Amino acid sequence: MDVSAATIAAAATTEQGLRLLGAGLAAGLGVVGPGVGMGLLFGSSIESIARQPELRGEIRLNMFIGIGIIEALALYALVVALILLFVVK
Amino acid sequence: MRVLKQLPIWAWVIVVLGLLVALFFIPGGHKATFDVSGEFVLHPIVKLPKLGPLDLSITKAVIYEWITVGFVCLFAALIHRGLTTRPGRFQTIMESLYELAHDGIAGAVMKGQGAVTWFPYIGGAFFFVLMCNLVGLIPLPFGTDHQLAFYAATGNINVTITLAVFTFVFTHYAGVRQKGPVGYFRSWVIPAPPFLKQFIFLSDVISQVFRLVSLSVRLFANMLAGHFILAVFFAMVLVFQSYLIGVVLQVGSVAVFLFEIFIAAIQAFIFAILSAVYIGSALEEEH
Repeated sequence: MDVSAATIAAAATTEQGLRLLGAGLAAGLGVVGPGVGMGLLFGSSIESIARQPELRGEIRLNMFIGIGIIEALALYALVVALILLFVVK
Repeated sequence: MRVLKQLPIWAWVIVVLGLLVALFFIPGGHKATFDVSGEFVLHPIVKLPKLGPLDLSITKAVIYEWITVGFVCLFAALIHRGLTTRPGRFQTIMESLYELAHDGIAGAVMKGQGAVTWFPYIGGAFFFVLMCNLVGLIPLPFGTDHQLAFYAATGNINVTITLAVFTFVFTHYAGVRQKGPVGYFRSWVIPAPPFLKQFIFLSDVISQVFRLVSLSVRLFANMLAGHFILAVFFAMVLVFQSYLIGVVLQVGSVAVFLFEIFIAAIQAFIFAILSAVYIGSALEEEH
């Protein structure tokens, strides 16, 4: 009897630990791709502003649209992490 | 005062470091635990009966939204009453915001008549989301146990998905109004080889639905993550119970707070501009 209770407790903590690990990995690895994408976006928009400063406004507008779209990807990872932490039981 | 001004910079460094070391030796209180996620649980403040599946209770999200609406109406009334040809500080701020919404968002993305027709929605969404995000940075006594709590109404998925549904409905309404129901849905089909055509149509439909998800989750997750970071920074003082870490964290939380103001403005801009892009893409003549 005692042994089975201990087994259940161990299983519960392992499950919780795996959930925490999964949440951490989801948030951490999910940021890698958007980070690369945002670096490329900023790099090329700064380069094009340096080349054609008169188009600054238009380039910045398109840059913000791109930021919005890329940023959503990182936030999906965050939402998955939060679901793993607080919703999945 | 003159003596203080003549001190060389290394003396200032030593004084600051000495103060920090002195702070380190002041004992703090007992260590406390703090559950950050508790800040985001909605407790009904005024309980109201349920209407079928809808829970009509007034929570702090609802109160923050009312405050937002009040602020937007108040600013609109104030600017409407006091318009002058020699603008003061308040009128200059409001005029530049209006110009941003009118020329920077609606006028820059949509062309011609579309911008005129759809500016009220785009501008309204911009000002509402901007004010919602900014009001969310003011701590108000609606937390559990009547402590001060940050809460942005846009940090709640129900609010943002409602805003996204508005954009979704208006996108298709704009397209149908412009081209007629048959013409609008036919404009999704592009001339292409047989199987490719159906595939592109299908992926277009999926992307239309997925816009709803991306538009709502982006705003929601940004505001939620910002408030999480703020709450974590404030709660770390409770956890560490040290004056040294308290001072360092105060500087850090002020920096994070300023960054959150920037994020609030950027997110309102992005929400409005993506709404404008979606509505503008429905109005376009060719696909």
